Amino acid sequence: MGADTAPAVPAGAALVSGRAGAPARGGRAGPVRARARRWRELGVRVGGVLAVLAAFELCSRLGVLPRQWFPPVSEIYVELFRLAFGRPLWVEIGRTLSGWAIGLGLATLLAVPAGVLLGSSRIAYHLSRTVIEFFRPVPSVALIPLAVLVYGTGLDMKVFLIVFVTFWPVLMQTIYGVQDVDPVAKDTARCYGLPPTAVFRLITLPSAAPYIATGLRLSSSVALVLAVTAELVAGSPGLGQAIVVAQSNALITRMYALIIVTGLVGWGLNSAFQAVEGRLLRWHPSQRQEVAR
Amino acid sequence: MLDVLGLRKVHGPDPDGPPAVADLDFSVAAGEFVAILGSSGCGKTTMLRCLSGLVPPTAGEVLLHGAPVTGPPKDMAFVFQDYSRSLLPWMTVRRNVAFPLRYQGVTGPAARTATEEALAAVGLAGRGDRFPWQLSGGMQQRVAIARALAYRPKLLLMDEPFASVDAQTRAGLEDLLLEVRERYDITVVFVTHDIDEAVYLADRVLVLRPPAHVSLAVDVDLPRPRHQVDTKRLPEFGRLRAELFAALDGGGRDAAAPAPSPADAG
Repeated sequence: MGADTAPAVPAGAALVSGRAGAPARGGRAGPVRARARRWRELGVRVGGVLAVLAAFELCSRLGVLPRQWFPPVSEIYVELFRLAFGRPLWVEIGRTLSGWAIGLGLATLLAVPAGVLLGSSRIAYHLSRTVIEFFRPVPSVALIPLAVLVYGTGLDMKVFLIVFVTFWPVLMQTIYGVQDVDPVAKDTARCYGLPPTAVFRLITLPSAAPYIATGLRLSSSVALVLAVTAELVAGSPGLGQAIVVAQSNALITRMYALIIVTGLVGWGLNSAFQAVEGRLLRWHPSQRQEVAR
Repeated sequence: MLDVLGLRKVHGPDPDGPPAVADLDFSVAAGEFVAILGSSGCGKTTMLRCLSGLVPPTAGEVLLHGAPVTGPPKDMAFVFQDYSRSLLPWMTVRRNVAFPLRYQGVTGPAARTATEEALAAVGLAGRGDRFPWQLSGGMQQRVAIARALAYRPKLLLMDEPFASVDAQTRAGLEDLLLEVRERYDITVVFVTHDIDEAVYLADRVLVLRPPAHVSLAVDVDLPRPRHQVDTKRLPEFGRLRAELFAALDGGGRDAAAPAPSPADAG
């Protein structure tokens, strides 16, 4: 069911490609033309969204899709706004997000030090590799019965699931990051007599930071998927449970509105992560807005 | 000041394997500028890493002020060829220059003064708040030189520092190096594969042939201060250049030959 949510951890190098050159290229066209182009791009994007929404609306209103199961989009959005002005929706969002935050926080606290350790010691890395390779691909939702058995259906269960699953991508990214410190940078530090603690703080950690950030961003979306899944399947309180409740009370419009909310939460978290990354890692080639030379 | 005695370095665990550096002997006097000239792959970089204490030699000794070098010495600075990797992209130019000072016991206003002075000496005053990757290649290497200067080394080791900048920038950097070396009174060991550069900069040129050993040592008696056009027009410059070219050319042929037998190595 949710097996495909286990993240593919990208090899470290993939991180440098991606967005590197794209934003800078347009900048040369002159500010006026660039702005016009940006508005046009935005228009095209909004137009695409509106077209899809309008198509759904029409299909529902004209009866192409059974209205009972596919209510018109406009009604869903009215319901969404009604929910947004009430307290209960925010309580549910808070419950889902607290599981997300505690789980991801704990996983980070455990995985980053572990990754630093395994990344800096060849022996430790080889000793642990098989164990990691065994645990990492376990489909996250397969653990739900175990989690419910041990922790019940409350917050603890959600946190356990999220910690167990997001630990691995953060660990792997930290290991790659620590192993990928530039040897010239390390030689430089040694030549200037930096003690090991300073090498770690000034060289190793900053150069591993982009890898760890990628691990966290991947884990963040996985953690949200798991939180909602745990709520859906095991009935812990939160957005997922609210969706089930709406469904079983035949409140189809509300169910759709809540599904849209989960999407918005995921989008919001991802955007927040990207913004923080762009700010803290502005020195990294993938985040630079200007090209050297 | 610096004495290299019977230095030998073999890569890998087998001490009887083919050496990268073999029977290397030379000395550098205080205040001297020694250029070490060799074609690529002759073991120059390995030699310099042994000199700096970054890697231990297989046999032989490196003495600095008469004491054996076992790790990077406190009064030595190293400028790498690859400035873009030696400068830390997450630090501003100022922090890149300043960060080693703390571990030398220089802090507070003294560190700030040393940093700004070094940046001014390489013509980068006012660029301290930028990031290295916002600067051109030549400027980045000047930041690396400023870092070395702020450290106030007695000995400066440079590994083909100007090999990856364009010719104009390179001439500027060479003159800058000669100027700051006068002002800061530094002993320089400068590794290069460029004959003109070696003759132009140095008091003495050592030619290395693989596995790294000194095959020729030439004193350069060109007048100082040197000048990019006038110095290179002197007949003596041409003569030195020809002599070194001949010595290197032989080295080139040696290097091209398949795996020299131990008998040839001497």
